[in-house]
Amino acid sequence: MNTLTDRYLAATLRSVPAQRRDEIASELRASIDDMIEGRTDGGQDATTAERAVLTELGNPDVLAARYADRRLQLIGPTYYLVWLRLLKLLLSFIPALVGTIVAVVDVAEGQGFGAIGSGIVVALHVAVHIGFWLTLTFAIIERSQQNVDLPDWTVDQLPDVPAHRDISLADTIASVVMLVVTIAYLPFQHYRSWVHDTDGDNIPVLDPTLWSFWLPALIVVLLGSLVFEIVKYRVGSWNWALFGTKALLNLAFSVPLVWLALSDRLLNPALGERLSWLAEADNRNLLGLAIAVGTAAIVVWDLIDTGLKTRRQTA
Amino acid sequence: MVSEDVLRTHLQELRRGTVVVASLVALRRPDYGYALLQRLTDHGFPVDANTLYPLLRRLEDQGLLTSEWNTEESRPRKFYRTSDEGESMLTRLLDDLAAVQTSITGLIQGVDR
Repeated sequence: MNTLTDRYLAATLRSVPAQRRDEIASELRASIDDMIEGRTDGGQDATTAERAVLTELGNPDVLAARYADRRLQLIGPTYYLVWLRLLKLLLSFIPALVGTIVAVVDVAEGQGFGAIGSGIVVALHVAVHIGFWLTLTFAIIERSQQNVDLPDWTVDQLPDVPAHRDISLADTIASVVMLVVTIAYLPFQHYRSWVHDTDGDNIPVLDPTLWSFWLPALIVVLLGSLVFEIVKYRVGSWNWALFGTKALLNLAFSVPLVWLALSDRLLNPALGERLSWLAEADNRNLLGLAIAVGTAAIVVWDLIDTGLKTRRQTA
Repeated sequence: MVSEDVLRTHLQELRRGTVVVASLVALRRPDYGYALLQRLTDHGFPVDANTLYPLLRRLEDQGLLTSEWNTEESRPRKFYRTSDEGESMLTRLLDDLAAVQTSITGLIQGVDR
């Protein structure tokens, strides 16, 4: 026999616990026959009645789940919030941590800037693994019968009301990323620039003699700015002390840069050998002037903007 | 105008627990699944077959119903009957249902319209 009813019973019983399968089978078959009979007595033909009854009973997997008292969800409301909090907590630092370690190890082994790529790939792998294994663990807990004792919520867990912020996290992250990229560029341009000499070796954009003092000094100032951004975020809004520090840091970076540009000590003289336009002193002076004016304009605009913000936020 | 979906959800929630009460009352007289379904429907408790059949098993597992196979008729059927345990729980449930009705009535009368 392979009627629709047989197929329906087989589909339902497939996922019902084995020890009660036979009994459920007999009872369900009797119920289905009763329901079909109820319809044929009302004048329906047997085939239509069978289809209608089985449609009424619905998806056999759902019916089986009801018989077995099984939950039709991966992680239910009991564990969902704990799962979500753990997932956020683990994802917030482990992938970045592991990725950074891998990248640093690769750099130490001399892979250069390709190491950043492998660090990101490892971080993504770690994130996927965390998501998968954590979810699997919770799905198993959800299905195991014994209840896991979760600590009850108390009012002491309430977080502080977030302090009013005038400085957003997004702005801070953007500033930090910009600073990191700038710091990384200084050594990077020494090894990789778009200019090569006749032997195919790299010509640094900035004068290599600057490494004796000025470039390390500028890097220190940039690192100071990095710390400043974090402190500023912790403080939460502009005040005049922050404004003063910011002004000092800006000047400490821009004054040496402008001075080096104007005195034609910024760019690598070797560039002139490959780029004929730079070989002429007039052109080099013009470029230096452009860099100096551009830098000065950015600094002045930034100080005015910051000053206005500070006055508004301290008012 | 209340949307049909919202209304249906609330009615479902309101009705959910009453199926158990109705079944326990109805099965003071032993009956099998399909016949019980018909009796409940006739008395204004429309319930889906795919809800009722698993529910009967669950109530039996909880000891609120006892069952017996009847093989005398055209096909063997499993007859359920409310157990002593089911009867004492039914008393509690009916008391609570009455208490809900009383509370609602009191609330309706107490609220100025």
